[in-house]
Amino acid sequence: MSDSYAIEMLGITKRFGNILANDNMDIRLKKGHILAICGENGAGKSTIMSILFGLYEPDSGIIKKDGVEVKISNPNDANKLRIGMVHQHFKLVDTFTVLQNIILGDETINQYTGPLNWFKKCFNWLNKNVLRIIDYKKAREEVSEIIERYGLQVDLDKKVKDISVEMQQKTEIIKMLYRKNDILIFDEPTAVLTEQEIQGFLEILRNLKREGKSIIFISHKLNEVFDVCDEITVIRQGKCVDTLEVKQTTKEAISALMVGRKVSMPIKKRHGECQGEVLRVEHLTMVDPLTKKTIVNDVSFNVRRGEIVTLAGIDGNGQREVIYGITGISKTQGGTILLNHQDISSFSTREKIKAGLAHIPEDRHKHGLVLDYSVSENAILDRYYEPEFSKFLLLNQRNIKRYVSGLMEKYDIRSSDDESTIVRSMSGGNQQKIIVGREIERDTDLLIAVQPTRGLDIGSIETIHNILLKQREQNKAILLVSLELDQVLSLSDRILVMYEGEIVGEFTPDQANRELLGLYMSGAKRDEVNAIKESEHE
Amino acid sequence: MNRIKMFFSSLLKKDAAKTVITSLWCALLGLIVGFLILLCINAQEAGYGMSSIMGNFLIFKNADNRLDYFGQTLAKAAPLIAMSLSILVCYKAGLFNLGASGQYSVAVLVISFMGAGANLPWWLVMVAAMIAGALWSMIAGALKVFFNVNEVISGIMLNWIALYLVNGILSANATVWDSTHSEAFTISGESNAHIPTIGLDKLFAGNSIVGLGMVLILVVAIAIFVLFKKTTIGYEIKAAGLNGDAADYAGISKVKNILIATAISGALAGFAASLNLQNGFTSWRLSSAPPLIGFQGISAAFLGGLHPIGVIFSSYFIEHVTEGGSMITDLGFAPEVASIITSVIIYLSGFVAFLKEMMRKSEIKEQLESISRIKGAGK
Repeated sequence: MSDSYAIEMLGITKRFGNILANDNMDIRLKKGHILAICGENGAGKSTIMSILFGLYEPDSGIIKKDGVEVKISNPNDANKLRIGMVHQHFKLVDTFTVLQNIILGDETINQYTGPLNWFKKCFNWLNKNVLRIIDYKKAREEVSEIIERYGLQVDLDKKVKDISVEMQQKTEIIKMLYRKNDILIFDEPTAVLTEQEIQGFLEILRNLKREGKSIIFISHKLNEVFDVCDEITVIRQGKCVDTLEVKQTTKEAISALMVGRKVSMPIKKRHGECQGEVLRVEHLTMVDPLTKKTIVNDVSFNVRRGEIVTLAGIDGNGQREVIYGITGISKTQGGTILLNHQDISSFSTREKIKAGLAHIPEDRHKHGLVLDYSVSENAILDRYYEPEFSKFLLLNQRNIKRYVSGLMEKYDIRSSDDESTIVRSMSGGNQQKIIVGREIERDTDLLIAVQPTRGLDIGSIETIHNILLKQREQNKAILLVSLELDQVLSLSDRILVMYEGEIVGEFTPDQANRELLGLYMSGAKRDEVNAIKESEHE
Repeated sequence: MNRIKMFFSSLLKKDAAKTVITSLWCALLGLIVGFLILLCINAQEAGYGMSSIMGNFLIFKNADNRLDYFGQTLAKAAPLIAMSLSILVCYKAGLFNLGASGQYSVAVLVISFMGAGANLPWWLVMVAAMIAGALWSMIAGALKVFFNVNEVISGIMLNWIALYLVNGILSANATVWDSTHSEAFTISGESNAHIPTIGLDKLFAGNSIVGLGMVLILVVAIAIFVLFKKTTIGYEIKAAGLNGDAADYAGISKVKNILIATAISGALAGFAASLNLQNGFTSWRLSSAPPLIGFQGISAAFLGGLHPIGVIFSSYFIEHVTEGGSMITDLGFAPEVASIITSVIIYLSGFVAFLKEMMRKSEIKEQLESISRIKGAGK
């Protein structure tokens, strides 16, 4: 009986425009087991799980639950089949309490149990169908019982906006258990947690398994996967490559399956010397306009020619805001920013760009591209006014076309209709290459890159890594923000760790390792840091 | 035969072709619904009513009459074209110009005083009307960029402010107000403020409301087309409209471009007023509702696929139907039947995007099928 399947997804195919996200995929989850779905970013993990949860309908393929074919066309169907999912970005109402969030959509309704039979009938019918007065007392009892049973300690009366990410995740888990879901899907649950919190989370998973839940755990972090899972299904480029039992395989084997070839993180150390300061940030302070909380607190550092300086840290510790402050997306409350010894703090964005600031933004859809513009329109977005591309308000289409087709060739940007392809229809990797190409071709002294490889396939990641390293060789200054420790360790010349808006540690890659960075990133350790380094040769 | 088929299917894949097809569908469906309504009101005369709506000037037997009314329809389509261009420019900047009526009204005020009152040269009056419309429109634009007030709300409120402002000021000034007819003085054919006919009236059986305005509006439509196709101004406006964050990040000021777009848009609404009043056809009447043309402009803009050249045709179509509608009153129909048809078209024009999406989907389905066929053949 232990070998029977809780969920079988057979021959699932899903296409978005020209992109085949899932190609004839088979996923089988055994009852009471934890199945890991591993794959690089963009391999199709989230898509197939969204199909199981009813967010997308597959173009073809069938889903079976307990051996019976089912149709899941929306999350309500999934809910009825007791399939629950914790998304990468939590689906909680910030201004509701934890308890309200847990029961939302599945509220326990008050039952009148007093005398007068006809009144009881009327009232209960009315309340069930119209009034829907919530029985918080009963709901609280039910939720508390779940908390006890699974050891998920949360404060039910706090508002979600006031609790930590870890607590929010627990809230999501309780939400699934409250709905008596027995198939639980976790989409990259540990991405937002610190090393210490991850251990706690894995313990919760083991508890859930002990209670007989079947779990799908999406991750690309093999340490965790090998820690708790029973089987691993490896996905690559929308296809299921293999499904293996954890006990009979190794991390190296899985990792090789995931990328399709040997992984090579280029660790190319700098050979030259850092000559001349390009960017100098002094006492940068920023305040969140809504909450009035200080999000960047007196941050100072510099970036010199020929070095890659990385701001590392867990998401949301002020790295993003530092970059927003430097590039001019957000207002700063204090501090100076010097670019090539010129104070650019009060410059407009256009002036900053002209002064020599190139920026690969974190959110390429929001800040990097106009998605409904073509490749060529996007490729000139921050330089269309240059005499090469326009004269007397008229765009010089011929020059633009020549420049863009050169750019597409040089950066290997692929599209269906050459320069006139609408960017929205292109893959993430090609979209990112447009931005990278656009910014690097401006040939500025400073390049700021925020998570430049987020959500890209391994080929594009390598291309972008090589481009960054080449820029360093050409004596450019590079400021990188990354959440991925492997990237941080392999590319940086200096690592600055940020925690709660401050720089709490500075390392060279030789000094640093995952565990040490983890301690600083989670706030367990901190140093006094002077991150402004003099040039080795002025 | 196959090549012709190939040609058409490749043509169908073009976005512009899809827009044209869906717009034609909307127009056709609008007419069908209109016909059904005519059938409900008066089944016997419905056929004749519909043919006069569709035929408009063609129902006249006399050739001169035909030309005269054809000229009138053309001349009345011109301001509508300007109005739909006004909607279109704002739309490209990501804004919905529901305040076009107000901008039009303010321009009417300027035209009445400078044209009918002071008898100034037509081009001066026209430019002043455009400036007035632009300034009025920029109020909503400024509220949007500096205080994040929704332009739809402020536009609607400015419509009413403009309406009562114009009603009040005009009716209180004897120099511009004809109190016996309770309307503003019309600009006469001999007036300096009358747009020259440049001999075009001769082509339309001496209908003097046809004139230079017809040429100007075509020039303006082409200018707007060029603006968005070829110039950095249009490039900036569209970038700011499609993705304001990315525009800001690239150093394209969202504030500047919204103000520019609202100014151009308001100027076009003012231009519409100028085309409507400076040909001596009509003038401002006391009214309790903002001028209808501002809203007809919206339907014309959408029916025209939000394309500067497309709106020329859609505006003419709407004007054609409206004019035709005014001819069926003696059959026992209200002229508003034409309004019903255009309203149905407005609703359907919202479906232009939807229908396009349907066409795209069926295309993908075809692709998938052909892929699976190829795969199947491989096995």
